[in-house]
Amino acid sequence: MRPVAVIAAGKTRFGAFPDRDLRSLAVEAGEKCLKNGHVSPSQVGAFYLGNFAGPSFTGQNHLAPYISTALGIRDVPATRFEAACASSGSAFFHAFSAVAGGLYDCVMVAGVEKMTSQPTARVTEILAGAGDCAGEIKAGSTFPSLFAMIARRHMYQFGTTREQLAAVAVKNHANGALNPDAHMSKVITMEEALDARPVAEPLGVYDCSLISDGAAAVILAPADCARDFTSKPVRILGVAQASDFVALDQKPDITTFPAVRRAAQKAYEMAGIGPRDIQFAELHDCFTIAEIVALEDLGFVERGLGGPWTESGATARTGEKPINTSGGLKSKGHPVGATGVAQICDLFAQIRCEAGEMQLKRHSLGLAQNLGGSGATCVVSILGNV
Amino acid sequence: MTGTVYTETVVHLAPEAFAQDVPYQVAIVTLEDGSRVTGRVAGDRVSIGDLVERVAMRDEVPFFQKAASQLT
Repeated sequence: MRPVAVIAAGKTRFGAFPDRDLRSLAVEAGEKCLKNGHVSPSQVGAFYLGNFAGPSFTGQNHLAPYISTALGIRDVPATRFEAACASSGSAFFHAFSAVAGGLYDCVMVAGVEKMTSQPTARVTEILAGAGDCAGEIKAGSTFPSLFAMIARRHMYQFGTTREQLAAVAVKNHANGALNPDAHMSKVITMEEALDARPVAEPLGVYDCSLISDGAAAVILAPADCARDFTSKPVRILGVAQASDFVALDQKPDITTFPAVRRAAQKAYEMAGIGPRDIQFAELHDCFTIAEIVALEDLGFVERGLGGPWTESGATARTGEKPINTSGGLKSKGHPVGATGVAQICDLFAQIRCEAGEMQLKRHSLGLAQNLGGSGATCVVSILGNV
Repeated sequence: MTGTVYTETVVHLAPEAFAQDVPYQVAIVTLEDGSRVTGRVAGDRVSIGDLVERVAMRDEVPFFQKAASQLT
């Protein structure tokens, strides 16, 4: 297996853009990415696209060649990957595998979602398609409600508090306020988070990520020729994908995600490091409880202690392990299919010391965790310049 | 059919199909054989650990209610 590097990144702002369609967002991110890496479309040997529900949100299908040809990428394989909210993380994992295996020397991985053209009730319905439609969804579960049930159980088993959940939202909104590309650059207080309108108890509006439009793209190349493109390539030290049951009621214990644990273990092994070595991370905070569970499943903190650890400030940008310095899905936004690659773009910027006001002092080794559904897919990636 | 509430939530924001029901409670119930099922709660709100019994099946969805022995 050849070592692989990320040589370029580009993304759109995240937000609600009524006058932009899905393809124009993906093309903007792709063009920025090509320009960033001084790559011409004819050099791209394959196009991997992450997208969750473009056909449901916009009616358009056959998205990968629809976008790649608009970018001037012709003739090569162009394929869409769907793994719910981990769609572009999965595309990234498979693109890595193809480059590492010697199949291609230059691959673009993009992610896109155009969500805001539908009313919230319809968005909720489309997102629910990532759950078990014949069981939990038919019974009236929504995605917020699945994570609400995880939160309730985590509170019951470990004493996690409503304030600890809110502390995730307060932190990520503070981080997002420093991100010029974030959907919601708004600092919130603990009181605002606690008093917010309920969505699925105990989760309120501020416990939930945003419904956003946006796109992101990166280009991968073998590490030994990465410097032909850029003086600052970022190595992919480890990446792994794992899977689990789609239905929450099939999991023996819903306070932990086995797919996250397995993907993390494999990624750590590939990178030859452990959780303590990770300096910063972008985690899949689709709901506040998801960040708390991820901290535990990734081995950053012992099981059950994700809440108190967050409350202590350890995961703030000034803490020992800064988490979601981009604002996370919570504040940066969550255009579902774009999220996995956007996390890679955020690591890329931090590691290259190009993160502007968000820049951290310790930034040479970062981890991204991209979760699909209520834990049925997880992709963990470790990037560094070491 | 009886079971124990494993976890639950009260849904306030629902897709159109369930919009007329909000707020409604959904629970994952551990049945006597150890298997779990997601269903709706009828009547009083339930909490984790409560004993419940299935009182109806509607469109293949089980509806649970707090077991008679627990009603006050």
